[in-house]
Amino acid sequence: MQWIWNPRPRRLVSRVGTGTGIFLVLLLTFLFAEEARSQQQNRRAGPHSWTGDLTPITAQDWSPDRAAHLLERAGFGGPPQEVDHLAAMTPAAAVRHLIHYQDRDNSHVPPFDESGVFDPTLDPFPKSRADAVRIARLNGESMGVKVKPGGSRPLQPVVDRFFYWLRADALEMRRAGQWWAQRMLVTKRPLQEKLALFWHGHFATSDTKVRDYRKLLKQLELFWQQGNGNFRDLLIGVAQDPAMLVYLDAGENIKGHPNENFGREILELFTLGVGHYTETDIREAARAFTGWTHVGLAFVVKPELHDEGQKTFLGHTGHYDGIDIIDIILEQDVAARFIAAKLYRYFVRQNPAPGLVAQLGAILREHRYEIAPLLTTIFLSRDFYSPPAYGTQIKSPVHLVVSTYRKLGLTAIPGVPDFNTTTRDLGQELFHPPNVAGWEGGRSWITPALLLERGNFARTIFFPDMVNFRPPDRWMPVTNQKVATKIAQGYEITAATIETDDNAMSGNAMDPSGSESMSMFNMMAGADEDYNTRYGSTHGWQEAFRRVKPIPRFAAQLSMTSIVRQAELATTSEVVDYFLERLLRVPLAADDRQALIDFLTQELGTHRIKPAMSYLEEPVSHLVHLVMSTPEYQLG
Amino acid sequence: MAKTVIKTSFLHRPLSRRDALRAGMYSLGVGAGLLGTSLVPRALAKPAEAVPSPHAHPERILVVVELSGGNDGVNTIIPYGDDAYYQQRPTIGIPAQDVRKIDAHFGFHPAMAGFEHLYKDGKLAIVHACGYENPILSHFASMGFWHTGSPHAGEKLGWLGRLADTLDPEVQRNYLVNIATAQSLAVRSRHHSPLVFYDPEGFKRNGVHQQQPLFPRLSDKRDTPNASLDFLTGLAENATESAAFVRQAWADYQTPVDYGVRAAGLGLDLRKVAALIKAEIPTRLYYVSYAGNVFDTHVHQNDLHFRLLTYTTDALRGFMQDLNRLGRADDVAIMVFTEFGRRVPENASKGTDHGTATPVYVIGEKVKSGFYSTPPRLTDLDDGNLRYTTDFRRVYATLIQEWLGYADTKALLREEFETLGMFV
Repeated sequence: MQWIWNPRPRRLVSRVGTGTGIFLVLLLTFLFAEEARSQQQNRRAGPHSWTGDLTPITAQDWSPDRAAHLLERAGFGGPPQEVDHLAAMTPAAAVRHLIHYQDRDNSHVPPFDESGVFDPTLDPFPKSRADAVRIARLNGESMGVKVKPGGSRPLQPVVDRFFYWLRADALEMRRAGQWWAQRMLVTKRPLQEKLALFWHGHFATSDTKVRDYRKLLKQLELFWQQGNGNFRDLLIGVAQDPAMLVYLDAGENIKGHPNENFGREILELFTLGVGHYTETDIREAARAFTGWTHVGLAFVVKPELHDEGQKTFLGHTGHYDGIDIIDIILEQDVAARFIAAKLYRYFVRQNPAPGLVAQLGAILREHRYEIAPLLTTIFLSRDFYSPPAYGTQIKSPVHLVVSTYRKLGLTAIPGVPDFNTTTRDLGQELFHPPNVAGWEGGRSWITPALLLERGNFARTIFFPDMVNFRPPDRWMPVTNQKVATKIAQGYEITAATIETDDNAMSGNAMDPSGSESMSMFNMMAGADEDYNTRYGSTHGWQEAFRRVKPIPRFAAQLSMTSIVRQAELATTSEVVDYFLERLLRVPLAADDRQALIDFLTQELGTHRIKPAMSYLEEPVSHLVHLVMSTPEYQLG
Repeated sequence: MAKTVIKTSFLHRPLSRRDALRAGMYSLGVGAGLLGTSLVPRALAKPAEAVPSPHAHPERILVVVELSGGNDGVNTIIPYGDDAYYQQRPTIGIPAQDVRKIDAHFGFHPAMAGFEHLYKDGKLAIVHACGYENPILSHFASMGFWHTGSPHAGEKLGWLGRLADTLDPEVQRNYLVNIATAQSLAVRSRHHSPLVFYDPEGFKRNGVHQQQPLFPRLSDKRDTPNASLDFLTGLAENATESAAFVRQAWADYQTPVDYGVRAAGLGLDLRKVAALIKAEIPTRLYYVSYAGNVFDTHVHQNDLHFRLLTYTTDALRGFMQDLNRLGRADDVAIMVFTEFGRRVPENASKGTDHGTATPVYVIGEKVKSGFYSTPPRLTDLDDGNLRYTTDFRRVYATLIQEWLGYADTKALLREEFETLGMFV
């Protein structure tokens, strides 16, 4: 008889060759498990006295649960072997392992496989369809497409081109989101991805406005490179980043006509927060950044557009440019506190006390805005393992989905359910933060509907919805579908694009004046003779589908049976305890645990696993779906 | 049958004697309606007019619509009769001949056929130059002031959340509804848990038959020192119970009314509100919002602004038509607001930057069409910005007092505000 004592008691495993010792083994198992469970409870959160205490924890304070907590926050959680790996180190070594990731080989992560849809005529891209038309009327062409010299709808090719790129870029951005998620899943540097996601939310930039996936990927590259480096370098990088320059209208920020958008956001959202500057400071900062723009993916300064004049900013006066402004900002104590507090809220918890924020800010300044030392302090601190911090964070949608896949041991992001659609519906879509302030986080991730939706997501991992699933990268809105169908049937464009069958004005659509109840929108559709917007939009979808590579649509390849077999779980209560341990950072109430055991026993028709091994898959999948539907599972 | 059970089991708590007394016959009417037989005609079910009291008009509903991003009020209610307008906006000014004229001075943006209809039908009030002292030009800070109804005060609860706590101290379920993917600060409440959803069809727990009994059980409220867990379990309980009702309400709702753009946006969200009103959910306060600061028109704004105003006014006009169809138009008032207006002079990019005072719109069958308060002056700007003439909380006070019938607006808004007299 061989005992394998795993420090995580719910995986206490006995290997018994014969039946003679079974009673003894079960008794011992029970006693050990009970004792270990109570001991383990003590090794989850530390004592309340640790709250706000930045003293590093010691090797004696370390436990598998605390290692799991660290991996959850500094990464996206992981399967038991990854937790065990960290648990086997000292806490200092584990934190070092996570933070100093640069020298760890990550070459198994493939680069982004571009569809090749971009060409240089698409940059700069018109700001709107109307803008494209205006440019074409002025110059005889737009986006490399010429206006027809005669014939019907002379501007149609220009409009088609506009919509093509609008759709193709959006689809390519989806592919990039899927690819980034895949990196999060398989990386050997989880903190690099977690930090990139933080900075993506902090320096929020959305492709909805940028409309160039290449610029967003270049910005992501910056976050990977500088994410745990120096905040000044990062801030300068962002101020010169083409995606940001487009997003906050830098191209419009010129000498004599400053556009305040970037000047405002760098102060309000990126460095200081409301109340630490005046409207005048914003205008002066905007002047200092005039002339900063981009050509394609390159940052350029146009001296003729830069305002060389004297500026007065936060009490300093001089002939400043953008770098000077950044340096003045970073001299403010409040800047260090602002960044430190935001990192703390992302990695630890909402609402740190002002005293703690001041300490964290001081650490950041002491280290001249180096981010790694601050993170080391945070992750090693007693505070990080204290009750208000441990198991209290509501997982962001991206975290929820990626960590779910990691905890299940997947090595590829499934194509069904669709990653981007799933996280978007839960409130977070990569490369599409909701506005310049990024994602609010915390409790804002949850509404009554979204809480249910999180559980539904878990179900689709095990039971993909093959009835309703449509690849979102191959689906166009119903209006466009109808147009496409009618065009193929030989309808003339106007006839093909008029809404006829599903509005109040049906039968009346050709006569807007006669339809008192028709909306402005439906009166205008297809009204312009030089081009037809609805046709252009449909054509854009079709062309984008033709050219952008599809996202592979495989479902999660999981075997719950082999997980149960490998962990050598013998009873339904062991199975339940095993998955609770593997999936939850917060323990389930005893009666809920018992309800799950009863559920599984009922489904299997026995409390013993061995006789049920051949039909285990579906009941255990139902069990795991239930665990993932609990309020507890939303916490990391 | 199952439908009736769901509704009666949670939609209203069982009526206590006190509830019944308080709500008068109206509750009985609604209760009867829920059971599928409307025994009491609505007109008879209303209690007699009395002194202003939150219970004088228990049928009355307020819908608040947020135009996020800072709508350009000057190009919405256009002072086409003012030369200064064209001087300040040489390229983005809307030519006088295109404006939908209201009077000799102001007119609607050409995209706003919907508002023009509402105005001519006597259902649209326009409150001039709303704002507050010491304006902040940050979206988030300024929106926060409008959400809380407390500029510069650091208030943590939303004005509608506090209003719900005041009007409904008994804390009925689903008194507040927020159609959104993320809850707005405006509805954050001390005692009420707002019903927040976006997709009514997806508002459900998917799972096999054997799992179903476990879902409510695993969502039960439980004692825990973990504040986040406490928050989640409270929410889970409500979600599980309300989902079926919302789904049913949406499934039962169809409309022939044209709300404009159909696939998404304000029109779709207002149809969800109409569906809930039709289903007689006891909600009195609805909050609906544009997402993503869409009204933030810094650059080449005219085309975008045209579209936004089209969508918005189409949807609101459609909503009023739909409420008429449902026989509930008399019971609903709508307030439309944005966090700030934009600077009067256009910027170098044919757009406009963050500004200050801006109109607020109130729509309803019982609203008296017209302009309220003092118009802003384009020749007396504060560094390019309009000076506000109306504290926006006057509009809040008007809705709370004149519409919802609660007199003590000072308790809610911290100051006394003169109401505007905009309801019939």
